[in-house]
Amino acid sequence: MFLSELAIGQKAIVLQAPDGLPVKLFEMGCMPGEEIELVFAAPFADPMCFRVQGTLISMRRALAALIPITAPDVG
Amino acid sequence: MSDKQALRIALVGRPNTGKSTLFNRLTGLNQKVGNYPGVTMERTMGLSKWAPGVLAEVIDLPGIYSLHASSTDEEVVMNALFQEDPAEKIDRVIGLADGTNLKTCLFVFSQVLDLGLPAVLAVTMVDEMERRGMELKVSDLSEELGCAVVLVNTRTGEGLQALRQAVLEAEPSQKTPFFQPGGVHLHWLAQVQAAKQLATPYRAWLWGLNQTEDAETIHAESGRPPQRARTDEAIQRYRQVNQWLRRFFIADPVKDRRWTARIDRVVVHPIWGSFILFGLLFLLFQGLFYGSEGPMNFIDDQFAALSGWLTDHLASGFFSHLLTKGVIPGIAGVLIFIPQIALLFAFISLLEESGYMARVVFIMDRFMRPFGLSGKSVVPMVSGTACAIPAIMSTRNMENGRERLLAIAVTPLITCSARLPVYALLIGLVIPDHSFLGMNIRGVVLLGLYVLGFVAALGGSALLNRFMPRKKTPAFLLEMPPYRLPIGRNVLYAVWNRTKSFVTEAGKIILAISIVLWFFASFGPDRKPDFTQDHAPMAIEESYIGHMGMAIEPIMAPLGFDWKVSVAVLSSFVAREVFVGTMATLYSVDDEDSATIRAQMARQVDPKTGQPYFTLAVGVSLLLFYAFAMQCMSTFAVVARETQSYQFAVIQFIVLGLLAYGVAWIAYVLLS
Repeated sequence: MFLSELAIGQKAIVLQAPDGLPVKLFEMGCMPGEEIELVFAAPFADPMCFRVQGTLISMRRALAALIPITAPDVG
Repeated sequence: MSDKQALRIALVGRPNTGKSTLFNRLTGLNQKVGNYPGVTMERTMGLSKWAPGVLAEVIDLPGIYSLHASSTDEEVVMNALFQEDPAEKIDRVIGLADGTNLKTCLFVFSQVLDLGLPAVLAVTMVDEMERRGMELKVSDLSEELGCAVVLVNTRTGEGLQALRQAVLEAEPSQKTPFFQPGGVHLHWLAQVQAAKQLATPYRAWLWGLNQTEDAETIHAESGRPPQRARTDEAIQRYRQVNQWLRRFFIADPVKDRRWTARIDRVVVHPIWGSFILFGLLFLLFQGLFYGSEGPMNFIDDQFAALSGWLTDHLASGFFSHLLTKGVIPGIAGVLIFIPQIALLFAFISLLEESGYMARVVFIMDRFMRPFGLSGKSVVPMVSGTACAIPAIMSTRNMENGRERLLAIAVTPLITCSARLPVYALLIGLVIPDHSFLGMNIRGVVLLGLYVLGFVAALGGSALLNRFMPRKKTPAFLLEMPPYRLPIGRNVLYAVWNRTKSFVTEAGKIILAISIVLWFFASFGPDRKPDFTQDHAPMAIEESYIGHMGMAIEPIMAPLGFDWKVSVAVLSSFVAREVFVGTMATLYSVDDEDSATIRAQMARQVDPKTGQPYFTLAVGVSLLLFYAFAMQCMSTFAVVARETQSYQFAVIQFIVLGLLAYGVAWIAYVLLS
């Protein structure tokens, strides 16, 4: 499953991502093993804004669709 | 004392850590705004005395997420920190960390420490930490980092003196490095470090990974792509930072209420969010259009009165004419923009300070993307409907240099308020006062011209986006800062710096051009000007500008312009609305009332056909010419200043001129 598939308010854990993603993503704190939550999204669900390591990071849907995550915890 | 002897102190940290607030606190109004060498990015520096005999030059570097270069911001910071030239070398670093978001801030700061520069960590947002029940064991963290850690309240100034003291005493940390590059790289690192004479192995690492050639060598020797190497570094550093925070940072989860999440529930809501955004943009438009009207009229009146008074009290002659008709209107022409510039930058500064600007970018991103622009261009585009000058200046707040050039290139196409008097005159002249489907056609045409402006600007941007060379485009990754109450001082400083740089830099060019234009209108090739009378020193058709108009008449004829219209078009370069006044002069109308001029223009007869000269074809051709041409010396001056390139401004002027010519020509041919 990928980050772009989260619903608002759902949380999941980031998994090891394939090579070629922007390193800035890691440097901003979005890295494997961290909990990530979709906080809100723009019209047409693009871009999307996530909370990870205490900060809000927004990215375009196309990038979120490349980041693998665990199944979201329901609750 | 010269700048060279000053201690050069750089502020380095993530965006939204209160960097500019601290900068303003440390330097006061003693700031100079310049550009980084080679990039059109603003550099702000401030000189102040820190102790007897100690002069400090504080440099506000752009906010970054890492020292590795993913964008121009990071490149600029890296270049600054790697400077070896004694005049440019950084002596001390103040690292900034938002106390409520220490994790990601300490990540960057640990990179800074590994550079081997004497550094101090300033922890900001102290009041917010307290409110949210957060506590940092400062002395333990300081011990662990091997550098001073100072809590600073940038709102009240508490902790500033301690920070200054710590900076003066700072030494390179003995606890570094906080990151150990993996084994395979070591051999290569030692080589680079020796060859480039770099102070620490981390410098060699950072340098190597950000130089394409070296990065390829690393790749070949270690079998690990540079991206992987950077990822490894990020993982190792975050592990270290998390360990620090577990030991030295305590948060009380009960008190930790997040206002930001609550505000965002409304502000970025797909429906309400858009309403709020458009409401604010409408407010901006109204403010620029009507709010600045009073002060602008005031400035205009004062200078007109001054000119009038001088005309009455000085003996007529060359100098009094130059002063009252060239210099004073030129200065007025610069100062007249101040109300709009100040208003716009106060507005932008409030948006940035409160944290809302990031949301604007977020909401608009999807809509602006096809045009090569981001949500940040929305503000210049909307401001452009009032005036291109402040709009182009506002692109300074765009971090992406390429997007900024796109926005500067197309903003003059947006229908600004100076076009309105021209449009009103011409529409009244050639468009019949009929109704069509219950709408007045004149109103529809005016609305159409506004729409045309936006379509041309966005279309032009999309087109340029395809052809403009693309460096590496940074991924769209944007931090949403928490909402914070704007700090009045920061807003004031932003307005002051922008206004000052407009008056001193673009102002010079505007004044020079207006004096040149005065010369062309007051002198002629065949006759000496007569400065002894109250009226113009020479008939406009005898002046240089009149001759130029006649000279270009054959070129303008395909558009349906005769020599008089050509002269008016030429003199409009002062400002578009001058068209109306020039028309009045050319048709010998005494008062500048639009209706009188329109009546006089309507009586003009085309000598070839015997029919009225201002036909629908001529009128529409002129309207379209004014819609596209960059007929505004102030816009030209501001573009030259903002892009640091006369070449860019000249090319833009020519391209928009040709576009205007082409469109007006097609319209004239089709309609006549």
